[in-house]
Amino acid sequence: MGKWRQQVTKWMVEKLDLPADAMMDLPRITMIGQLHIYIENHRGVISFSNEQLMLRLKTGSLVIKGRDFVIKTILPEEILLEGAIDGVYYETPS
Amino acid sequence: MKKDWLEPVSNHVKVEVRGKQIETFMNACLEKKLAIWEVRRTSPETVSLCFYTKDLKKISAVLKKTGCKLRFLEKMGWAFWLLRLWRRNGIVLGILAFFVAVVLLSNMVWNINVTGANPKTEYELIKAAKKIGVTKGKFIFLLPNVREIQRRLTNEMDNVTWIGVGLHGTTFTFQVVEKDIPKREKTASPRHLVAKKDAVIHDMFVEKGQPVVSINQYVSKGSLLVSGYIGNEQHAELVPAKGVVMGETWYTSKVSVPLVTHFNTYTGRSSSRHFLNLFGVSIPVWGFSEGDYKHKEESEDETPLKFWKWTMPLSYEKKQYRETDGVKREYTKEEAILAGKKMAYKDVAKRLPPGSKIIDEKILRMTVSNGKVNLSMHYQVIENIASEQPIPIQQGD
Repeated sequence: MGKWRQQVTKWMVEKLDLPADAMMDLPRITMIGQLHIYIENHRGVISFSNEQLMLRLKTGSLVIKGRDFVIKTILPEEILLEGAIDGVYYETPS
Repeated sequence: MKKDWLEPVSNHVKVEVRGKQIETFMNACLEKKLAIWEVRRTSPETVSLCFYTKDLKKISAVLKKTGCKLRFLEKMGWAFWLLRLWRRNGIVLGILAFFVAVVLLSNMVWNINVTGANPKTEYELIKAAKKIGVTKGKFIFLLPNVREIQRRLTNEMDNVTWIGVGLHGTTFTFQVVEKDIPKREKTASPRHLVAKKDAVIHDMFVEKGQPVVSINQYVSKGSLLVSGYIGNEQHAELVPAKGVVMGETWYTSKVSVPLVTHFNTYTGRSSSRHFLNLFGVSIPVWGFSEGDYKHKEESEDETPLKFWKWTMPLSYEKKQYRETDGVKREYTKEEAILAGKKMAYKDVAKRLPPGSKIIDEKILRMTVSNGKVNLSMHYQVIENIASEQPIPIQQGD
């Protein structure tokens, strides 16, 4: 059932030009150079250190790597991270 | 994203959270919608973060659940600033007290200078000023303004002609011009009596001297009335002539009386408004009604606040509204003539020396124009026309 629904939404996003983040609960990530990263639609913090922030997503997780991390703001669905960001990685359960 | 711009001033604390499940703690905070920010990993087991003090209870409950410990690092926000300031209350109170003292002292009367008065008048003046409230140590803004003081003092003192009141900084200066009551000169030098003005002699009483005119004689201004030479030609003697020569003189007086006059009289009802004037902008402080009067008069009184010797851009302003009632007076032509006659009579009586008498009045000319009755009055007056004229003593005579 879930699989079928996911496929329908995916089809709708592709064919009807609907925003993917709203339809599929995907994270929306905004980066300002290396300085800031702003993530909406996350599902909580898995781990946080100076060099790495791991966020839970609806499916899988998001890993942000870099240096001197500070969480400027954290709200139920959004997070603003400051520091020198080196990379953003998705980890999807296979 | 929502960002609280008031965050720097709202009460918040910076804390250190120690524990193994810090992420769980953070997620729990998110779930309960507790705002946290500035999260920083300080060591593998500790994290520093900020939150609002109003959330402290909820956050400590979450901490307990997740087995984390809290240590306060910093307290920020207005309440804490005030608290810190209060801890140094000595200094704060000192600074405040200093400013209050300077403001109060610069608005006080420190000195009263009186110039141009003899000690007696000065003493009386100081006493009169004290009655109004102008003494050393009084606050200037509680006193009536300078013009008012001047008016009241001038009314109060009858042996002075004029009092100039000035306020220089914290010093009141009273400049006094005393009435010079001339002493009666002793009649020592020989003199004649001459006519002050054109007149017809009505009556005369000569104490000393030789009268040279007779009753009902017309004399012109400056003509000799009583001579200072007495005796016959062989034994002429010089004396100071003395006497009263009453002469009939003539005065004209022009008055115009409007037929319709509007008067304003105070009914006694008044209301006042108080303002603080800051950089020319008046801010009402007390009293918000301009008086619900049909006719009113407005008066303003401004007292600038002084700091040291400078006038502050702050001043206290008082506006007073007094109710007046517009009274309209209407004269008929006859009434106007009567009133005009009275006015003219008063006008002439004012110009006459004491001991004079008005014996007859006549209307010379009367016109009515522009709603006014113009009267030209003629008066016959009996007055003393004698004036003294010294006789120059010739050397070797």
